[in-house]
Amino acid sequence: MSNILGKGLVEGLVVTAKNFVGSYFDGKRKYRMFNYQYPEERMKLPENSRTFPFLVYDGTPDQLRCTACKICESECPPQCIYIVKDSDANGKPLQRPRVFDIDTSVCMQCGICAEVCPFNAIKMDCDFERSAHARFDDLITHLPVLLKSNDYYHQIKSAEATRVDATRKPVKKPAAATAPTAATPKAPVAVAPAPAPINPMPTPSDISNEDERAAWQRGYQSAIGDGEIVWPPPVVVKKKEAGTKPEQSVTNAPSPAPSSGGAPWHDSGLDLAKRMEMAAGRALADKLMAAMAQLDCQACGFDCRGYAESLAAGATKDFSLCTPGEDATKNMLEKLLKEAGKL
Amino acid sequence: MSATGIIETQTLEVSLGPQHPSTHGVFRMDVVLDGEYVVKLKPVMGYLHRNHEQIAEKLNWLGSMPYTDRLDYFCSMTNNWAYALAVEKMTGLKVPERAEYIRVIMAELTRLLNHSCAIGFLISDAGAWFTPVLYAIRERELILDFFEAVSGARMMCNYMRFGGVRVDLDDATLAMARNLVERWPKFLDEFEALLLGNEVFAARAQGVGILPRELAVNGSISGPVARASGVEYDIRKVDKYGVYERFDFRVPVGEKGDTFDRFMIRILEMRESVKILQQALRDIPAGPFIASETKLRNFKVPAGDGYGRIEAPKGELGFYLVSDGGAKPCRYHVRPPSFINLTVLEDMCLGQKVADAVIILGSIDIVLGEVDR
Repeated sequence: MSNILGKGLVEGLVVTAKNFVGSYFDGKRKYRMFNYQYPEERMKLPENSRTFPFLVYDGTPDQLRCTACKICESECPPQCIYIVKDSDANGKPLQRPRVFDIDTSVCMQCGICAEVCPFNAIKMDCDFERSAHARFDDLITHLPVLLKSNDYYHQIKSAEATRVDATRKPVKKPAAATAPTAATPKAPVAVAPAPAPINPMPTPSDISNEDERAAWQRGYQSAIGDGEIVWPPPVVVKKKEAGTKPEQSVTNAPSPAPSSGGAPWHDSGLDLAKRMEMAAGRALADKLMAAMAQLDCQACGFDCRGYAESLAAGATKDFSLCTPGEDATKNMLEKLLKEAGKL
Repeated sequence: MSATGIIETQTLEVSLGPQHPSTHGVFRMDVVLDGEYVVKLKPVMGYLHRNHEQIAEKLNWLGSMPYTDRLDYFCSMTNNWAYALAVEKMTGLKVPERAEYIRVIMAELTRLLNHSCAIGFLISDAGAWFTPVLYAIRERELILDFFEAVSGARMMCNYMRFGGVRVDLDDATLAMARNLVERWPKFLDEFEALLLGNEVFAARAQGVGILPRELAVNGSISGPVARASGVEYDIRKVDKYGVYERFDFRVPVGEKGDTFDRFMIRILEMRESVKILQQALRDIPAGPFIASETKLRNFKVPAGDGYGRIEAPKGELGFYLVSDGGAKPCRYHVRPPSFINLTVLEDMCLGQKVADAVIILGSIDIVLGEVDR
């Protein structure tokens, strides 16, 4: 029986016929119809689905979560993110980006930026309907396009956004507690310096200065930050131990005040000179902490206090880990450590 | 006609590819033909070279993970696993048990989708233009839906992390996986009915492109191609990486090493994969899905080297990494199964007809993203 020539062929044709007829009748068999009539009919995307990143803001667009700490910029594998920190009219750096560009022609939608962001500021969108007229400039998404509300985030990824909101609330409390003037119940709102309106986004073609424009464009190809970090990482010194500061570092100073007096400089709105002034005469760890960006962003692997103490104790040797503080912090840390004879 | 009455013939050089429907990507075969028979064959590759290894040496350890998705873009899950395994060997990170099970589930689902599509494309090469491969792609799409629900992307999953996986499987996704596994044997029955008894395919495939056992071993061929030639070598059994020793499954081995055997081996392997999946989904323990010591940023690997290898659907996929203790690999090398399996293409094709060269290539199952890297 099985050797009748052509039997296999016929059996195969029966399968094809079944599939052909079956594709018209959904019937009992689940998943028989596979196609969605796309523009009219849409598939519900799973919550984890990801396309390009966007920036989340709470409430109004000037309350964006991004602090321009540049962690995503340095971690992005294809280097498609370019950030410039904002500053006010006096040149004081603000904790938010002036320029936040994502080159979507380079972005490979891996989602690592969203994974590493300590502020839950950058998240993956699931909007797959994007098109642009031009190949280069139009594919670079600038800050206004990237900004999307927390409500939108809830809309596309409700479970994840709820989880994020739950983790974010306790983060705000210590910020309010350390701020010296906070007394009203609406502490987070009251403490936050009134956000200046976001500057209209410049694009590379707006810049007349050749060098500046070249620097901007080079920014896309900037190398990944390569910090020297000890492995395994030293244990983070708990904040509670701050009162028992080792004083071996400052020998000749007349008993510097211990750091138990809190950290009034722990306010990212203050500029570096002001913060250093507030920490003058304190222990080395305090001065080091004052030099940092006060974001507790953990770009270095610690919070600001932890990193300062680790540096002061000599457990960490690299003073270039404070990404948000940029060169100013790095130079100040180097100066302080040299003065203390740690370098 | 010459004076002796014998027709004078010349060999003919034909370039199959790089733009050719049979070549599974941008790959070229320079074939020298004597009449219809292949007398010489030179695989030409490199059209899709993207400098993967050099790029990885410029990125931090985690940064290469999404790039490994793009090696064998059919099987991003197994690529992730091989790379994560190599790094875990070097750092000594312990993977939690649940993560090991999740990895097995992902890898076996990848094997299912890869083998079904490989068979589909092979039949397509033999002339059954796109009906079988569409059936395979239809089923594959369900697995890809599952991958998207878990990892966020259909193909570029970027799912594994050093010491675990990125996202846990919740009840909904586990139910999805169970549905898939329940559905797959029915599809396999249908697929077998469609193809197995088909006399035309048997005539095209049997005795074509024989790879002798000795050559398979000497050429360090791995995966279904080697097993079809009778080499009993499956890294899941040899290395017992992950939790594979806990599962009861067999390694099918072929006899002749012809194209039909390579086709059959894949069908049989899918049956075994379904068995593994059933056991894994039954036994998956609760617990953490990523090691607590894992960190995403400032991840460093102690100085030294390591080789992690797994049984990817196409064969032995290995990552050889050298670290100088820094944040980036100092040497990063991929051992791609497709590329090494391709080295015996000429030996398999010599003396065969040019039409058979096409299905022999199809039976090796290559993905050019991995061959060229």
